[in-house]
Amino acid sequence: MARQLSRAQVRKQRMQDAVNFPLDWLEERSGLVGGVRYFLFRKVPGDTNWMQTLGSATLTAFLVQAITGVILAMYYKPTPNDAYASIQNITDHVTMGWLVRGMHKWGASVFIILMFLHMGRVFLFGAYKYPRELNWVIGVLLLTMGMMEGFTGYLLPWDQTAYWASVVGINLNGTAPFLGPWLAQFLRSGQEISGDTLTRFYSLHMLLVPGGIMALIGLHLYLVIRLGVTSPPWSKEAAGSELVEEPAAATAARPGLTRPVARGTAAGGSE
Amino acid sequence: MAAHAGSEKPRPIDERRAGFARYKQDVKERGKPFYPYAMFHDTVMSLVVVSVIVALACIWKWTSWAPHHDGTHQGLLGPEYTARADPGTDNFVPRPDWYFYFLFYLLRIFKWPESVFLGTVGVPTIALLLLIGVPFYDLRRERRLLRRPLAAVGAVLVVLSMAVLTWKGATASEALASEVIADVPHWISQEKLPPQAQPGAKLFAVAGCTACHTYLGTGSSNLGAPDLTAIGTRNLGIQFQINHLKCPSCVNPGSPMPKFASLGDKRLKQLATFLEASKGKQ
Ligand code: HEC
Ligand code: HEM
Repeated sequence: MARQLSRAQVRKQRMQDAVNFPLDWLEERSGLVGGVRYFLFRKVPGDTNWMQTLGSATLTAFLVQAITGVILAMYYKPTPNDAYASIQNITDHVTMGWLVRGMHKWGASVFIILMFLHMGRVFLFGAYKYPRELNWVIGVLLLTMGMMEGFTGYLLPWDQTAYWASVVGINLNGTAPFLGPWLAQFLRSGQEISGDTLTRFYSLHMLLVPGGIMALIGLHLYLVIRLGVTSPPWSKEAAGSELVEEPAAATAARPGLTRPVARGTAAGGSE
Repeated sequence: MAAHAGSEKPRPIDERRAGFARYKQDVKERGKPFYPYAMFHDTVMSLVVVSVIVALACIWKWTSWAPHHDGTHQGLLGPEYTARADPGTDNFVPRPDWYFYFLFYLLRIFKWPESVFLGTVGVPTIALLLLIGVPFYDLRRERRLLRRPLAAVGAVLVVLSMAVLTWKGATASEALASEVIADVPHWISQEKLPPQAQPGAKLFAVAGCTACHTYLGTGSSNLGAPDLTAIGTRNLGIQFQINHLKCPSCVNPGSPMPKFASLGDKRLKQLATFLEASKGKQ
């Protein structure tokens, strides 16, 4: 502090402080800046590859659904008298309405495909193994809830395809033992598909199920950050690998599978 | 490694823990920061995803525009909407979105009444449990697919069967009303239907009954619905038929057949008359 600063230095210092002030303010009160910094600069294995972008691709598709969905909700009317007309209005008259509806409709398929591809990647990599079992379970729940979004959204345009596919779909739920009839009754909210069914599907489709998906995505990503992503299993420098690329060592690493082999001894040497 | 001193083999859980500790160590020493490396890939991929979605929306719109501006025009990716929902419909083809086709087709495989339940709930539930359980029964530490032969074979079989089911579901032929109605004169002559049963026969052809029931070989059999060629020989009675059509699950508990109450009393009576007059090939 005793050292005299030049005028230019003082000015630079002030500028920096001005930039940092809001960040410091936020950090002091929330710790968020440190969190974001941790998220961005955390280390990931050096050999991650393109297949590992499928998770964030799925997230992007979900965000597209969320955003286009909110816009659609501003124009859509969930009553049997108005639903069909409001869908026609969105498609034919609202500025860019066709684009928003089209993105929502086709984004749903893209989202489902990406979930399956991402799951395939995780399976291929054996990335569901210890300690990531829980994240696999969360993933399967996300997959089923994603399909539920598809099911509940399908009815909303209230056209022939929508209506009759839902009639049959709900009746199928009804064939389940014990809970089936109750479930069908709940979905229909009565004995027959009606306006109540439509509002019920709408509420499930835009509040309950997406809320659940968001919560689960939060958990999923928390675990991804906490546990880290796995290296491709075939990688020579896979993080965590103990294997030297040598058959003897590979067999020794799996004691007890074919015959007990003590760690470190050559395979087949114990006969 | 010798976390469990004294025993010859380390316990599997100790091996797994050691493996993960090694992973953490390796990432710390040799890893790269998420930003900018991994994040760059993620961003590129996300842009691709958004572009594909926008492109699909555009193809959907622009190919269903011409020649008339009408949302029900069939473009490359299907119409923008079909006709307004009509509970008292003349013609419906229940079809779910494509990612449910595999379930949809399962129902055709288990089409006998006693096994419908397998197709709707049994098989999907078992499949879901097997899927959730993967990390709990596949406990080996090996991650390379070629050294996980069971996993590899299982995965290939699952992918193949999903693909086949989806494909079969997509190409399954539905009994379309326009085709079914062409068979009505044939029904009348084969079954010697009296004149008062004939309006019901036409209604039966167009009201979507043949999406689940067969009649003299027409229609497709779904959800365990019985063949109705000779339903009249059971002499269930007009009133029973009307009640059943109004609310199938009230009469036959657990029935997945939709309610047709919205057809209205007159048309229900016509249908019931037709059903009761159907005594099989005369
Ligand atoms: C979505 C599939 C589906 C559609 C569409 C459908 N049914 Fe059914 N139907 C069934 C099933 C499943 C059963 C067996 C369970 C039952 O008896 O309710 C059945 C049973 C019947 C029975 C026998 C009832 C008994 O007690 O044996 C008759 C008669 C019948 N349907 C008539 C019709 C008529 C007429 C239509 C068209 C207006 C129709 N169904 C449309 C699925 C369907
Ligand atoms: C809404 C759907 C989903 C989203 C947004 C999502 C997102 C992500 C993201 C961003 C990652 C980081 C690594 C990567 O991108 O590959 C990841 C990893 C993971 N996901 Fe998902 N995921 C979803 C669904 C699923 C499903 C259906 C499964 C499996 C059933 C699953 C299981 C896993 C597992 C086990 C990991 C850890 C992988 C590793 O450590 O290498 N996820 N997920």
